[in-house]
Amino acid sequence: MSLDYVKVSPGFEKYIAKEYRDFVEHGPFGKKVSVSQVGTFKEALEEHPMCAGCAMTLFIRLAIIAFPNPEDTITVGTAGCGRLAISQAMIPFVYGNYGDTNAVASGLKRGLMTRFPDKYKDVVVMAGDGGLADIGFSMMMHSWFRREKFTTIMLDNEVYGNTGGQESGMTTRGAVLKMAPLGKKFDKIDMPQLAKTAGCVYVATVVPNNPRRVESVIKKAVLIAREVGPTYIQAYTSCNIEYAIPTDKVMEDANNVEKDRYQFQEYITDEAKQYLADKWGYSEYKKKEIPGEVKA
Amino acid sequence: MYLVANIDSEICGKTKCTLCTQYCPEANTIQYDKIRNTAFVSVDRCKGCMQCVWVCDTLAKHHAIKMVMIDQLPKEQLRTALDMHYESSNLLKDSKINLPHAELVGK
Repeated sequence: MSLDYVKVSPGFEKYIAKEYRDFVEHGPFGKKVSVSQVGTFKEALEEHPMCAGCAMTLFIRLAIIAFPNPEDTITVGTAGCGRLAISQAMIPFVYGNYGDTNAVASGLKRGLMTRFPDKYKDVVVMAGDGGLADIGFSMMMHSWFRREKFTTIMLDNEVYGNTGGQESGMTTRGAVLKMAPLGKKFDKIDMPQLAKTAGCVYVATVVPNNPRRVESVIKKAVLIAREVGPTYIQAYTSCNIEYAIPTDKVMEDANNVEKDRYQFQEYITDEAKQYLADKWGYSEYKKKEIPGEVKA
Repeated sequence: MYLVANIDSEICGKTKCTLCTQYCPEANTIQYDKIRNTAFVSVDRCKGCMQCVWVCDTLAKHHAIKMVMIDQLPKEQLRTALDMHYESSNLLKDSKINLPHAELVGK
């Protein structure tokens, strides 16, 4: 949890794996990197066993690049496709059991706030739609009711992709899947609305067809969660295996879904806006002075 | 044999587009050479998903990326993830470390 946890002891450089040395020399820790610089630095994410062309992988990769302080971040995940990649990053990863990711993250964040009161240590939950909307639903809602200060990111592929294609709460109505041959009979859960009601101060829905937007959304969510309150991001990350999308059509599918039901939405409270403007210099949230107004 | 992405550095070098590096789902796979202004692929990490081909053809409209059988790649294009350089153009032959699996690629 500091810059010191990736370094090579003097004299041992030639015995250390090339990837590790590359990371120490060219990694993102202690620097400000952005998505536009990608390819010129060593990313914190390493090789992972996820399927070729998976949009979830792309989103996780962009998210890990976008963390404002990757060296001071802990990710929490659970069973599902996402953890296969998130656990392969140079960022500490905690494997919560199914259902308790947000409870683990609550404890972790409180512990870090007690242990490092003068530093920002970020906790980010990244789990699938099954791990958060179905199995982890109550823990997630209660962490929001308690206003725990961490970010929850849902990797919504609208199916239980890892276990053969069962329907989840986030599957759209009528979708026919391998393990749900009659089609789903209920609507998709409206999680962004639930998040607003439960007290999240920043809620956004994104599709990874726009890397810079993903970056800005994640940066804002993690920064707001440092002091203001819980934040929630819902990302459409299609499962090209269960929904039979050819890998070179994944982005076309993302564009179509964005037009259909996943429009970019951003909800941010006034308190969070002010925090971003005052503390982190977000000029778009600075209060505009109305010309002609008389100052008291 | 399997397909990997291959970037035509002559077409890519004329543009300053870095879209394929941003849209590749694999980390540290499409790298960017700042000196020659071109993206290049670390072939041992490429899973052959063709998203970069879609991005280059449809979004950027440069048509610089083609899928190539790994044994058809020219020798100087065989860069691996261990061969990353970040600042300078450093081809496989200049690499100081011995890369056992680099020779396996392409056979």
